[in-house]
Amino acid sequence: MKLAFHLAYKNLMGAGLRTWLNAGVLSFAFVVIIFYNGLIDGWNEQAKIDGINWDYGYGHLLNDAYDAYDPFSIEDGHGILAKDKQENLTPILIQQGNIYPNGRMMATRIKGIDPNQKILRLPTELLNSSKAQIPVIIGKRMAESAKVKMGDELLLRWRDKNGTYDATTVTIAGIFDSTVPFVDGGQIWMSIDQLREMTLLQNETTYLVANENYEHVETSGWNFESQKYLMREQTKLINTKKISGSILYGVLMTLGLLAIFDTQVLSIFRRQKEIGTYIALGMTRWQVVRMFTAEGGMYSVFATILGAIYGIPILWYLAAKGIGFGGMGSDMGVIISERTYPVYGLGLIFGTILVVVLSATIVSFMPARKIARMNPIDALKGKVQ
Amino acid sequence: MSEKIIITENLVKRFPVGDGEFTALNNINLSFEKGEFSGIIGPSGSGKTTLLNIIGSLDSPTEGSATVLGHRISDLSHKESAFLRNMHIGFIFQVYNLLPVYTVFENVEFALILQKRSATERKKAVMQALEWVGLENMADKKPSKLSGGEGQRVAIARAMVKRPELVLADEPTANLDAKNAHAILKTMKTLNKELNTTFLFSTHDEKVMDYLNRLVRLEDGEVDKDDIVQPKYMV
Repeated sequence: MKLAFHLAYKNLMGAGLRTWLNAGVLSFAFVVIIFYNGLIDGWNEQAKIDGINWDYGYGHLLNDAYDAYDPFSIEDGHGILAKDKQENLTPILIQQGNIYPNGRMMATRIKGIDPNQKILRLPTELLNSSKAQIPVIIGKRMAESAKVKMGDELLLRWRDKNGTYDATTVTIAGIFDSTVPFVDGGQIWMSIDQLREMTLLQNETTYLVANENYEHVETSGWNFESQKYLMREQTKLINTKKISGSILYGVLMTLGLLAIFDTQVLSIFRRQKEIGTYIALGMTRWQVVRMFTAEGGMYSVFATILGAIYGIPILWYLAAKGIGFGGMGSDMGVIISERTYPVYGLGLIFGTILVVVLSATIVSFMPARKIARMNPIDALKGKVQ
Repeated sequence: MSEKIIITENLVKRFPVGDGEFTALNNINLSFEKGEFSGIIGPSGSGKTTLLNIIGSLDSPTEGSATVLGHRISDLSHKESAFLRNMHIGFIFQVYNLLPVYTVFENVEFALILQKRSATERKKAVMQALEWVGLENMADKKPSKLSGGEGQRVAIARAMVKRPELVLADEPTANLDAKNAHAILKTMKTLNKELNTTFLFSTHDEKVMDYLNRLVRLEDGEVDKDDIVQPKYMV
């Protein structure tokens, strides 16, 4: 095998530009595959971190009657959880209401949270520090859609537990910027005590966010959703993106491998006399097959080297500077940072190298098998069709 | 008594042509001794190259046998015949068949790489072979930079570098001018004398015949004449 690689290397180096053209095409596929997967992995990683920081925490303990995907469950989806069972949990109460920014009516969810909580990155401390009578914080996108800014006052209308409408003025004490749409669009955050008082839902909670020390114990009337479960939609989306990405790099790989296959077929046809000479000089047919296969496989090694030469600086730069998506993900209901930083794991890099090398070797072997059936005399005469 | 290194007995070679068969060699009974400088001559299509290919274990007889250096060709596997060629037989072709991406040195070195010889041993042997053919100063040149005569001399060095018992030369002077042809033949004759290597030519070139000690004439696949001759040119 050493001999096959030795000879293959000499032949490829001797072939000059043709070798580097093939290696170039394959290296492009190689770099794009690593970049695209790195981007998806980076997005996935950031989305997980952002999701945990802004919404998921270490899981949610939900009232049995509450379904996050069913707005009709908000009215009755709350209950009282015993104080001793709230250790390492931050309670959140959700109610429905309307705000009237600039005279317009906007349906909103009113979320009450402990202003002293440290689990989520929501700047709830602003609810304590504000001098306003009823301070609220909202997300950047909510502020944009409602056309309100810091310090603005809004009329808030809601129904208490008896169904009685009430209204008051709330003040925007803070506008936060989050990549997580579930804590931003169509909602305002206020102190949970304030909300409980307003709605007469004393000690009631819709769900509780767990911190890293929380250990779940089955509690009647409450249902625990783990971090992984909460991330399922995002994970599904990322997996879908990976599949669609695999189509892209499937096409790129096919182009690269087709170039190698084509070169090999042509090479075997054009180099018949050379093949005959190798056999006449004492190589076995399978040694020649191995040499041609090694030549094809070596394209992928050259592609790796070439890809590393121009790919590493580009990928490095993109990993350091990130790629701006302008927060478009939040508008689509998915977690995407303003800038996504691709992550290139060793598994991704070595996995891709392995796939490229194996595929190139297989497509090289396919035409090279013909040599094993070649008559050396016909080959010497260049008469093999 | 001299050692017979090639023996053919009732050798027949047929090739399929359309629905029938073409008999390229018919009932060939020949033997060649070690150190001979012989030629198979005859017109085109007489079966010279076919016989040479069978002796070189690139092909096998349809009937009868060919025994080369004690090996019955039809009994050899691909691997065994490759080993026989690699270790004991050198080939010289009409169009040199040098490997285009290798230098002169690497072309000559190739056979020794196949024999898994050490780098030091290879270098010594290659330089010696290039010296035999007077190309020691062209070791780094690519075949495309060589003249026809130089190319064929590289081919001789490549065939001789492993010091084979037998060298098969198929029309080695067909692409050379008279001056180069004589130079090549003198080189081969010298190597034949110095190393006692058996040379078997396939040729219809009069210049080659002038150097040979034995002429086996084939006519339509059969031995027409087998004469020991006095070569015109001695070395």
